[in-house]
Amino acid sequence: MSDLHWLTATEAARAIAAKTLSPVELMSALLDRIARLDPKLNVFIRLDGDAAMAAAKAAETEIAVGRPRGRFHGVPVGIKDIIDVAGLPTTCHSKILVDNVATADAVCVTRLRTEGAIVLGKLSTHEFAIGGPSHDLPWPPARNPWNADHHPGGSSSGSGSGVAAGLFPMALGSDTGGSVRNPASACGIVGLKPTYGLVSRRGVFPLSFTLDHVGPLTRTVSDNALMLDTIAGHDPLDPGSAAAPAGHYASGLERGVRGLRIGFVRHFHETDVPADPEVTSALENVAHTLQSRGADIRDIRLPTLEEFGAVNRVILQSEAWAIHAPWLRERPGDYGQLARRRLLAGAFMSAGDYVQAARRRLEMIALVEEALREVDVLLCASAMDPPSRIDDPVETERTYPRQARTPFNVTGHPALAMMAGLSSGGLPLSVQFVGRNFAEASLFQVAREWERAAGTDERHPAI
Amino acid sequence: MEQAIVDMLAKRAGLDKALAEFPEDVAAAAEQASRSIGRMKAPSDPRAEPWPPMKAGTGL
Repeated sequence: MSDLHWLTATEAARAIAAKTLSPVELMSALLDRIARLDPKLNVFIRLDGDAAMAAAKAAETEIAVGRPRGRFHGVPVGIKDIIDVAGLPTTCHSKILVDNVATADAVCVTRLRTEGAIVLGKLSTHEFAIGGPSHDLPWPPARNPWNADHHPGGSSSGSGSGVAAGLFPMALGSDTGGSVRNPASACGIVGLKPTYGLVSRRGVFPLSFTLDHVGPLTRTVSDNALMLDTIAGHDPLDPGSAAAPAGHYASGLERGVRGLRIGFVRHFHETDVPADPEVTSALENVAHTLQSRGADIRDIRLPTLEEFGAVNRVILQSEAWAIHAPWLRERPGDYGQLARRRLLAGAFMSAGDYVQAARRRLEMIALVEEALREVDVLLCASAMDPPSRIDDPVETERTYPRQARTPFNVTGHPALAMMAGLSSGGLPLSVQFVGRNFAEASLFQVAREWERAAGTDERHPAI
Repeated sequence: MEQAIVDMLAKRAGLDKALAEFPEDVAAAAEQASRSIGRMKAPSDPRAEPWPPMKAGTGL
């Protein structure tokens, strides 16, 4: 079997179960590729290669004797380094937690392991999922496999870069203001922020309690649905966990979009934050393609990105301040500058500001709910620009906030970002689909139709 | 935000060390906070509730 590194998780799992692929052979191929490419991409904070290979050998034996363990038996997965993996440090890419060894797996990791997935290691992130890309931390920032001079998005930067580069077929990330969808957008893969509370946050270092989500990053829509099937579900020990039914997210993947009502939120990229012309053109192409396949495309208006962004920041920075205040008081020099600046902002927000944001948030939730009664799914921009050069802090600072992802952290609705095309410079452009609460299956249905039409799952960086 | 107010709020928050070692970062953080607060609209209804709501008996 050639090009093992481009096998999807689904393909690898099927081949392993059918005994046409050895999990050891797959792991060896990926470890070789990591050894070759990671020095350039900085995906890993800690590669746990020996343990991963031992697990692959154990999987091979189990499968040989007819003891399959689940849908991902023998399939490698990368874990963002704010998510606990027992026995490994959860550093949050920060000097502050450099020796913070986890004593137990996060719930999402346990669920993946129960289905037989093998943890390859811990992945680069922006410091504490907020400060990056930074060059003043104990580890360098991850880079974009489409062009290593550019950033890969963040904060789940290693997750996005590693999946896109073929270092592993799937990864876990977290999303508080867009941190799964940003790397998915910048790296041309599929990233989902599930409905708030659908995936347990237990064992994940918090950034902002009411905005944090855990989500999957994969190269295909069907892998993403399968990963969500695995990690979703009620956790009575996570206070934010929803008691909603979970599962069967891939059941409608091939249904197409005929008759579906899709609301195009044009004002996000046309007037709120005018997008790069190539992004605008890519979004119009997605809308036109889905319309040509039977979707009913309508214009929808929501509150402005500026207001969504302000509410997101006030809540995020207030909650993050509550977490980081002791370290910011005692060890401010142990943070990188970007994280320090962003986390300190919470000290200048009052309790009244926080409550006002939480009250306005409820009104914004109602407005998005109202829109989603008119249509089945929303279509809008994710990033307004292709990813900038990583060594250009001014341009990175300018373009990073030019996005339409934070609204759905504020409202909690599920949102998926994926490739919409490539820029003239060969960098990924992106689109975002947003659904009703707990209706991730509809998102996957629309995303799969676009994937099939555009062949986004066949496009890989020439690295 | 005026420097004297930034200094006062930072000290009240216990950020003396950050203020001494990273005064520019503290000032940038204060400016960032002020900008975000300024861009937020007040709720349209004075009786508007915050989210998430308090729900007795549904905790751990």
